[in-house]
Amino acid sequence: MPIIDYKCPSCGSGMVFNGRTGALTCQGCGRQDNIEELLDPLKEQVFSEDRGSVYHCNSCGADVMAEAETTATVCSFCGSAAVLGDRLTGKLAPAKVLPFLISKDEAMAAFRKWCRNGLLTPAGFMTADRIKGMTGIYVPFWLYELHNQVEVQGHATKVRTYTRGDYQYTETQHFAVYRKLRLNYVNLPIDASHKMDDALMDKLEPFPYERLKGFKSPYLAGYIADKYSYDDRELLPRAKEKISSYIEASISAAVTGYTSVSFTNKQIDTTLKQADYCLIPVWMVKYDYNRKEYIFAMNGQTGKVVGKPPLSKGKISAWFAGVAGATFLSLKLISWMMGGGFL
Amino acid sequence: MRRHYSLLSVLIFLAVYLAVPGGIAAAAETKTLIYDEANLLSPGEYDELNAMANEYGAKRETDIIIITSNNPENIDVVKMTEDFYDDRAPGYDKPHGNAVILTLDMNNRDVYLAGFYKAEQYLDDGRLAQIRNKITPNVSSGDYKLAFEKYIKTAHKYMGFKPGVNPDNPLFNIGFQLIAALVVGGIVVGIMAYRSGGRITVNRRTYEDASTSGIVGRQDQYLRTTTTKRKIERNTGGGSGGRGGGGITSGGHSHSGSRGKF
Repeated sequence: MPIIDYKCPSCGSGMVFNGRTGALTCQGCGRQDNIEELLDPLKEQVFSEDRGSVYHCNSCGADVMAEAETTATVCSFCGSAAVLGDRLTGKLAPAKVLPFLISKDEAMAAFRKWCRNGLLTPAGFMTADRIKGMTGIYVPFWLYELHNQVEVQGHATKVRTYTRGDYQYTETQHFAVYRKLRLNYVNLPIDASHKMDDALMDKLEPFPYERLKGFKSPYLAGYIADKYSYDDRELLPRAKEKISSYIEASISAAVTGYTSVSFTNKQIDTTLKQADYCLIPVWMVKYDYNRKEYIFAMNGQTGKVVGKPPLSKGKISAWFAGVAGATFLSLKLISWMMGGGFL
Repeated sequence: MRRHYSLLSVLIFLAVYLAVPGGIAAAAETKTLIYDEANLLSPGEYDELNAMANEYGAKRETDIIIITSNNPENIDVVKMTEDFYDDRAPGYDKPHGNAVILTLDMNNRDVYLAGFYKAEQYLDDGRLAQIRNKITPNVSSGDYKLAFEKYIKTAHKYMGFKPGVNPDNPLFNIGFQLIAALVVGGIVVGIMAYRSGGRITVNRRTYEDASTSGIVGRQDQYLRTTTTKRKIERNTGGGSGGRGGGGITSGGHSHSGSRGKF
């Protein structure tokens, strides 16, 4: 079955993508090839329609273990990069890719640093010596362009109070308000892999889109990549749900200068302009602590770490006692300075 | 080891802190501070309250005095209080010295509070009115012992605050301080725990295409104005129909005061 590998033209060793240099790099002789100038071997190959599930490594001939959604992996026998070409063409061809910037070593260091900064995490966790696995995965995302026409009607009031003689007057002016807004969102990311936790992926944002590249398969060399599990139509409801809070905030920001505003009618028309299939780099970290496995994700471009770490009861109590004690003492001090006496 | 010392010192501080208001400072001599001419107290209650007035008064260097009278001659309660001060010359530090006097006129059911010298400064008309408002319900219901206890304790407490601040400000309340501290601690730790898993750092502007987005139509139409009015309650001394105010005794001693009915 069609597997693409990347052999060094100089020495014949396997080549992998290097995020720092942005080049396809030979692990043997160190040769660097600029991916932008390289012809994508994916384009040169013609894939037959028969979809077998057995792939053989071009280097050693062994079976490449690949799950149904895997599009790029590494041969478990010889370690060569293996890109499963037939899963990256046609409808499954990604439009763009955000290449890895952070290497495995850097990711490891960044994760350890993050563990040390945990204010509530147990001391045993902070040493970060139980990292079970660190995998660089290109996660499939849809980048949506959604155009919204928003029309709202509502009732607003301005309240003024003043005193005249023995009476306090409250004067309320009533207004009918109407707003029409155009809200266009571009590159709204929604993760399309059923393996990844949506909440976790949402926290990884933002991604530096200025570094997005047109898709070329060598960017995947040496990493794992998955194809999308849901297409852009299936994920549209989730995209709409994600922008609804942005729209609400924009509506509120559009009506200002009033004491109170209540909307009687909101009409939101969303049109899907475009959805780009894009691969986003994520380092997945598996971590063992107290016989429990914790999963963390790191943005492969910015190094932002997300995931629920274990919390230490002792540290929580210590912080609680410390903050409460300090607050109590400062309140005492304030009341003493105001003339309240210390007791 | 250092840590243990600091812990120990905190514990000692707390122990001392809690023990002090319990009253180590016992009075050297017991003065007569309660003049119960109307016989509202049993001898046991009298002794107890008199000892208490001595003890608390000593801490503030002020005589905390209680006068009760059936007032057969029908003298005004303010005059009664002023004459008492002129004739008996009470005072912690000297005759005609620091004193706060609570007078109950059982005939007219009048109550009057007066502060002299240090007590005039620390227990101004406003604070005396606050004390009066606290004890009036108990006096009305005939619970004199409780009312006098409250009076002694509150007068002592209020004299611990600098003149000019409101002693009933919740900031001065230890219960409020404790609860506020616990709430702040809980909120801070809660936020820390919530944020430990990473937080969302994108907002509505992140994905908005600013060049094409915005308000394209707006209309704000004035409909009508409604006005409501409310009578302002003027605070006239407060309480049960009493007017505040001090004065000067015939003997020339200036004092603060608060007067009311019970």
